[in-house]
Amino acid sequence: MSAFQALGDAGAPVATRADFSADDREQRIAARADALFRERREHGLRRLDRVFPLLMLGQWVFAILVAVLFSPYGWTGKVKAVHLHVYVAVFVGAAITALPLALSRLRPGWAGTRHVMAASQMLWSALLIHLSGGRIETHFHVFGSLAFLSFYYDWAVLVTATVVVAADHVVRQFTWPESVYGVVNPEWWRFLEHAFWVVFENAFLILACVTGLRDLKTAARQQARVEVLAESDELKTLALEMALDEAGR
Amino acid sequence: MARLRAWILPACSVVWLGGAAAGAKLLWDHQTTPGAPGSPPRLWPAASRLERTPGRATLLLMAHPRCPCTRATVAELASLVERLEPRPRIYVLLFKPREFPAGWERTDVWTAASRIPGVTVWTDEDGELAARFGAATSGQVVLYGADGRLQFSGGITSARGHRGPSAGAERIVALAKESAAEATTSRVFGCSLIARDAE
Repeated sequence: MSAFQALGDAGAPVATRADFSADDREQRIAARADALFRERREHGLRRLDRVFPLLMLGQWVFAILVAVLFSPYGWTGKVKAVHLHVYVAVFVGAAITALPLALSRLRPGWAGTRHVMAASQMLWSALLIHLSGGRIETHFHVFGSLAFLSFYYDWAVLVTATVVVAADHVVRQFTWPESVYGVVNPEWWRFLEHAFWVVFENAFLILACVTGLRDLKTAARQQARVEVLAESDELKTLALEMALDEAGR
Repeated sequence: MARLRAWILPACSVVWLGGAAAGAKLLWDHQTTPGAPGSPPRLWPAASRLERTPGRATLLLMAHPRCPCTRATVAELASLVERLEPRPRIYVLLFKPREFPAGWERTDVWTAASRIPGVTVWTDEDGELAARFGAATSGQVVLYGADGRLQFSGGITSARGHRGPSAGAERIVALAKESAAEATTSRVFGCSLIARDAE
């Protein structure tokens, strides 16, 4: 609102009108804080929706390099053929990246976009773990990805990512337990042991998401207060100048 | 153009779901399909060029030096060796077609195997030794007891090219410690060792 909008029809100063009452001022601060919060949140979400596909494109290049450098060929005696890992890195990697890339261009800021980013990032973890031959170090990709996803300040995104990881483990436990646990007959609760560490990290990340959102709201409210108070002062000054002009005539 | 844009998201969704599902199926099948099982002789072959120390068990790993899956097997062998007490005599036999140039078999698999304490790495020309010990798949391990009798035949990875604990390794450790295990075989995951002429 500009200072001139606060003038009456006859051009009379309005500094004493109810516009400047404490209640009204608080309402204006709240409305402005809400608008600022939404604007910044939307900006942050859109920015992350543009960053994650770049990360996935980087992972795609990395996966192809890993496949080409470490498992370029499969062998049957003395005959070689391009290894399955190379095809999987190229085509499955492209498929996993396709939807996040499209959503980042067509629906940035939409809630569904960040959930697809979360699921895709976990699919990338699974693919990289496979391509590296199940190296324990590659499993850290899951934990790093969860940390990146928490930048969205949306705990539901972490739940989506966790469900994808847990689903992979549960399916493996019941179909090929050796591939996860190294034993043929693991205890039924064994997947909980693995899930515990993901939940452990999630507990802190969810706390960080809630705190981050609260900080964002606090910052928006502080800025709104400064803006509204500055506007009020401006109006008061203007009203005073007009009153002095009237008195001088 | 607007019509094309309207199709992009549904098309990408189909590619995403289809690609993830197809990729999971492909990798799953690849990882969990074992190679041909070995058929080693029940007794240590007398005509073998390999030396067996009397009164000591002997463990053989027969592998393809350029099979990507075999890296995991050699890594698991390194872990397994540390757990074996008493430690058997250990050979790693790396396949090499006779007509291929010298040094063809000296890959990172050879280097990794050579670094394992107490392991002797041999070049297996045309897979003669692998054939004598009935190995058909890279990663085939056989364990002969101190008396020269076959105790175990199988692989020491849980899936193709996948590191981590495995039933095979656990059974070998149990045999070394208690001379008994719940089973004396396991599945072998790796490239085929059966030499075929280049097509």
